[in-house]
Amino acid sequence: MADVDEDVIKAPANASTEPDVDLSDETQDFRFLNHLNFFADASPSIPRRGEKDFEPNPTELQADVLSASRGAMHNALSYPRLHNTKTRVIAFYAPDGYVPPVKADRATLKAGEEDGKSSESTPKPERPLPNSARISPDACVYVPSPKGQFFKTMGQADSSSRVWLLPEEALYLIERGSLDIRWPSPSGSPAGPGEEDLSIPMSLQAAYACFMGRGGLTLERYSVYTGLRRLGYALLRAPGWFDDIEKPDADASNVIETPPKLHGPGLAGILGSIFNWIHDPRSTASTATGPIIGTGIHRHYMDVYRKLAIIPWYDPVTAPERHPADTTPPFRVVFHVFKPSTPFKKSAPPAPDFRVAVVSTRDQTTMPTMTQLGALLESTPLDPPRGEKMDRMMYMRLRHGYRNVVMAVVDQGVVSYLRVADSAFGKEKLYENKGGPQGPKWNRNQKPRKR
Amino acid sequence: MATSVTSMDKPVAAKSGPASDARPPRAPRPPRPNFRQIHQFPLPVNVHHVPPVIPHNPLSLISVALSYLTFLISPPRQEVYSAYFDKATSSIHVTDERSIKALWQMGFFGKGSLSRSEPSWLAREKKRRGLQDGKTSEEITRLRRTERRELKLERARMEKLAIEERLKAEAAARESGVSESLDQDAQSTTDDMTNATAAATEKFSLKKAREARALEARQARELAAQNAAAGEQNQTETSNGKSVRFSPFVQKKEFLSTSPSSPKLPDPVVDSLDPDDFPNEEHLQLSNEEAFFLAYSLGALQIYDAPLNSGEVQATSPTTTSALLQQFCNHSFQPARDSSASLQPDDPFMISYTVYHHFRSLGWVIRSGVKFGTDYLLYNRGPVFSHAEFAVIVIPSYSHPYWSETEERKNYTAEKQARSWWWMHCVSRVQAQVLKSLVVCYVEVPPPAASLDDIGALFGQYKVREFLIKRWIPNRTRD
Repeated sequence: MADVDEDVIKAPANASTEPDVDLSDETQDFRFLNHLNFFADASPSIPRRGEKDFEPNPTELQADVLSASRGAMHNALSYPRLHNTKTRVIAFYAPDGYVPPVKADRATLKAGEEDGKSSESTPKPERPLPNSARISPDACVYVPSPKGQFFKTMGQADSSSRVWLLPEEALYLIERGSLDIRWPSPSGSPAGPGEEDLSIPMSLQAAYACFMGRGGLTLERYSVYTGLRRLGYALLRAPGWFDDIEKPDADASNVIETPPKLHGPGLAGILGSIFNWIHDPRSTASTATGPIIGTGIHRHYMDVYRKLAIIPWYDPVTAPERHPADTTPPFRVVFHVFKPSTPFKKSAPPAPDFRVAVVSTRDQTTMPTMTQLGALLESTPLDPPRGEKMDRMMYMRLRHGYRNVVMAVVDQGVVSYLRVADSAFGKEKLYENKGGPQGPKWNRNQKPRKR
Repeated sequence: MATSVTSMDKPVAAKSGPASDARPPRAPRPPRPNFRQIHQFPLPVNVHHVPPVIPHNPLSLISVALSYLTFLISPPRQEVYSAYFDKATSSIHVTDERSIKALWQMGFFGKGSLSRSEPSWLAREKKRRGLQDGKTSEEITRLRRTERRELKLERARMEKLAIEERLKAEAAARESGVSESLDQDAQSTTDDMTNATAAATEKFSLKKAREARALEARQARELAAQNAAAGEQNQTETSNGKSVRFSPFVQKKEFLSTSPSSPKLPDPVVDSLDPDDFPNEEHLQLSNEEAFFLAYSLGALQIYDAPLNSGEVQATSPTTTSALLQQFCNHSFQPARDSSASLQPDDPFMISYTVYHHFRSLGWVIRSGVKFGTDYLLYNRGPVFSHAEFAVIVIPSYSHPYWSETEERKNYTAEKQARSWWWMHCVSRVQAQVLKSLVVCYVEVPPPAASLDDIGALFGQYKVREFLIKRWIPNRTRD
């Protein structure tokens, strides 16, 4: 495995003259395609988007265009990719998870004080797991000297400024070629600066073998992680990462709190229905068999519609927020996703832009039931449709919903994302818009909307 | 123009006539009827506004009193329409002309049995027989579709033409000598065949295809003239003829579409009929949900078991709402369930009606969504005003503890709730294609009720929850 890595590194040294000729793979590619246009036709017709040949035809022109563009792609791909020694980042695999710094023997007290400042609990030097700097117990790779932009959004630094990486982070970086992970040296003391050269690099295959399945990382979750990561999103593990509920033990207080909360919806629902009932008591007389709206004289269509409202609907605003532990495993938020444009700080992550639950279609072959989906949505905070535009446009409000979550449905490596929003149609009384001109103008005047 | 086509040149020439004349300035749309006036009432229920009381204007009091007085003396009657249940199709038929019109205009209930939605068969038929002019929506759609299909065929033809030209040029290049490089050749040949390649580059836009078509027609005419002048162009002529082999097909389609307008079917018996006593073969077909809503919720519909003859006195009394509910529930199965079976809380009709009633009561015009593969479509005010914005899928939910009490019930409900991811993706992709937002509407099914006497209480046990599901494309939300 190591040979392959070496080959790649060696290759550019032999062909070191080439990079001078090719500027950068991107520009070169475009120029080539432009040239291709020139000879093909007087008018540019090939690289424009949306115009493609849907079926092969026997013309040489098509064959030429195809082979030329294929050639351009091969050319771009054959460009030697270098790993500059300056940007090379070396990491070490720690199979047993987080290990407190070795130097701590020398300065245990000092380190303890520092940790006390930076985090909430003081460490016990003998026990590594309840660690000081909130390092996740799943972290299994550490970078002694982190550099580069990746560590802005990845990893957790411990007291001796080593950055600990979670399995998915390490795997993503090694797959990208941005990280050189070493096996732990047999001597047991990996950190020595002089010994680095003796350690054995980990191959990509080995990295997959080591990290996949570790600490709840599944292939599906990794597909989602790496896919979004490559698009520039920052991802953090959400509290609901673990299927087997470990967290509720730690958050025992929360679990105790939830039962009264769970009673809430029932009570609220009853209250709501009572209120509904009080609201139009006349309707009760006729709902049994007859016309709900009664046979009398109707004064206004609004009254008619109000009488018609006999079907209870779910109100997302009154529903209580639930603990992630209340959800059923595949339908649980496992990633907090931050847009590339969101200013992101590792130490104090902002509110996530998206919450992603990862579902494997092979394990969970059916769509969630309402209970599952409802619990998933209720574990996310309320995000009501507000804003100048939303107030004006009813369709937008409905589409935005009161809570939302993204389900990443992974089918054998193919990820499709579904945004699920809790849109309460019952909160938008369309009939109140009736009679007058519909559309933005009317909606704006209609601020004192009734329930 | 409508005569049969024999020669190869003729269709091109004949086609160029309408193509060059009619196409470029797009024909102005026919004035739409005043839909706001026609569909001013959202439900087939009479509403009598009371004049507002203005405190400092004593006259307003008088007008209020007057209106009350008129109501007292002659209480306005709520119009009640009648219909009958057809067991064979498990739907409700409305045959009375006036009722059909009223139900369609006030709330868009039902569908013409021979029409796309609004019952317009009579108008279409009259038009076909030349008794009436004007266009129905079906015809406009058909015309538009024919036009598009033609253009697509035209486009395919142009593409084919371009490929053939190209092949010819390549063959010529090969013959003329290997020394010349291909790209030079290509350039020279493109200069030669100016028009054809120009058309070829425009091949993918319908609008351009339209223009290219006129051009092509002119070109063909020129070509024909050239043929007459010199015989040396024989080769091109034949190849052109080969490429135009789509043409008769297009022509046929065109005539097929326009044929209804031309009085081609002289039916001696019916044609002699007066336009006034022309029999309407169409009836309005209500879905069971619509019918139950009209009968139970609004009290605006009476449903009989058998069709009523117009002369006959109503011998049988209309079906009561509870019997109606039972009947609809039985007919929500295919084949219909035995009439003695008891009502189950998760009968498809119970669930679908819950959703129907829910959205109707919020003011939506809710119609079947079968054309887009969903259960319902939600229109704001009605289909004539705007496209549906939401498409609704109904899924039952058995979250009540009753349904998970025994293993048998658990298995039963699991099967009822199960929807595969592939199905979900299919539905959501189709909705994206037709620009609708997909609403997945879960209906909480209550445990079996003790009594079925109070229909209102029965439906009050159900609970509706809507989720809006949309494909999330991470590439577009990066900002």
